[in-house]
Amino acid sequence: MAAVEKRRPAGTPAGSFTDSGRPSVSRTAAAVESEEDFLRQVGVTEMLRTALLKVLEARPEEPIAFLAHYFENMGLRSPANGGAGEPPGQLLLQQQRLGRALWHLRLAHHSQRTAFNNNVSVAYECLSKSGRRKKPGLDGRTYSELLRHICRDGQAPEEVVAPLLHKIQCRDHEAVPLGVFRAGMLTCFVLLEFVARASALFQLLEAPGLATIDRRVGQAVLDTLEGALGAGDHATTPACYLEAGSRLGPDSLALAMDRAAAGRRPSSPMAREEFLEKAAALFIAKVKPVG
Amino acid sequence: MSRLSVPCHVKGAVALQVGDMRTFQGRPGVVVIDVTFPSIEPFELQEITFKNYYTAFLTIRVRQHTSAHTPAKWMTCLRDCCLMPDPHSEDGAQEYVSLFKHQSPSVTFPKWLSHPMPCEQSALLLEGLPDPSRVSSEVQQMWALTEMIRASHTSTRIGRFDVSYLFPLLGLHCPEQVRPHSPLCYRWMAVMT
Repeated sequence: MAAVEKRRPAGTPAGSFTDSGRPSVSRTAAAVESEEDFLRQVGVTEMLRTALLKVLEARPEEPIAFLAHYFENMGLRSPANGGAGEPPGQLLLQQQRLGRALWHLRLAHHSQRTAFNNNVSVAYECLSKSGRRKKPGLDGRTYSELLRHICRDGQAPEEVVAPLLHKIQCRDHEAVPLGVFRAGMLTCFVLLEFVARASALFQLLEAPGLATIDRRVGQAVLDTLEGALGAGDHATTPACYLEAGSRLGPDSLALAMDRAAAGRRPSSPMAREEFLEKAAALFIAKVKPVG
Repeated sequence: MSRLSVPCHVKGAVALQVGDMRTFQGRPGVVVIDVTFPSIEPFELQEITFKNYYTAFLTIRVRQHTSAHTPAKWMTCLRDCCLMPDPHSEDGAQEYVSLFKHQSPSVTFPKWLSHPMPCEQSALLLEGLPDPSRVSSEVQQMWALTEMIRASHTSTRIGRFDVSYLFPLLGLHCPEQVRPHSPLCYRWMAVMT
């Protein structure tokens, strides 16, 4: 380990925590250092600064828990995880990379677009690093695996998200550029939120005591949404948004539901899975496929 | 609904003047005819019929009195409707012309705007039907999320072309910053491998 000068110019830390490795730092035995110098040399200043910037960017609801998670994950950053012995295998490295990328992607909600995009870039870089046997860049297989991870953790049923993955997945050996990666991540997270809203909607429509909804009512609500989305198919003018707002207003929906419930067709139940699948299909239809 | 002629008073034609009327340049060839309706009762104009006399293009503007509070506004119903395909020939020069209401594009409202929902909603909260405002809130959020995704798309191409499986893949990776956009480059990369 290299020896360092006694006096360092302000602003250049001797070592800092980076993604690639452990800090390398050394102090000469006779050095007299101030506390500030000490903190800077071991890299704590830089680390805390980065952590605080992350908090500011993400604006989490529970900042302390957020910071706790952040520091917990710091330990996962270096591949040689503090232990002696042989370095971890490629599979473990890959899992660690995925884990870190996932963690970055979850730092900010997709609606905080700047923060989200920044995190996407960091995640992309993290996944694109070359390992001993890995070429630089993000390959389709890792990208697809990441998409599946996100959807699984987001508690969306597999059949619901499968059509989306089919649309935006890349082939295993394809190189995935940042633009495609970013669009895919955004679409994925937005779909998860969409499915969460659809789930809440299902609960609203649920008949009391049953785990199903009246099929006619459920279908009427979905048809109304489909109609509102269809208005924007050929042109997106402000008038389309006004029209959609009118169709999706409480009065209009109440009328649609009332008509459906009063209709001549007999009532039959619709389960949650089917409702979510149909709702997600409306979303996925508007997603541009890759390629 | 029967069709009735609406009594109207057609004023004399007034030529628009630009600059000096004495020279030829002062007469641009645009003439304005005012038509007023002496009847006070409101009516819905369905058709205008007249005989042309060597007018090539016709624009009709209407001033509607919609309510007592808002001032009457001029609206263009028809703009540059062609009555004579060739102004220097006789075609259409002395024809009878009928213009119908449906030909004017700007006065038709979309159905959702002209037929708003009726206000009696209390009867609709029947037993078993969910609260429409909460349902509406969720559905609107779902709509907004979908519209957002529809609007956001990347222009980055993945650079996929389907003969790729025939070539080894070393030549196909390209960092995004230097990604070439021209098809020529892709063909070059294929040849290189």
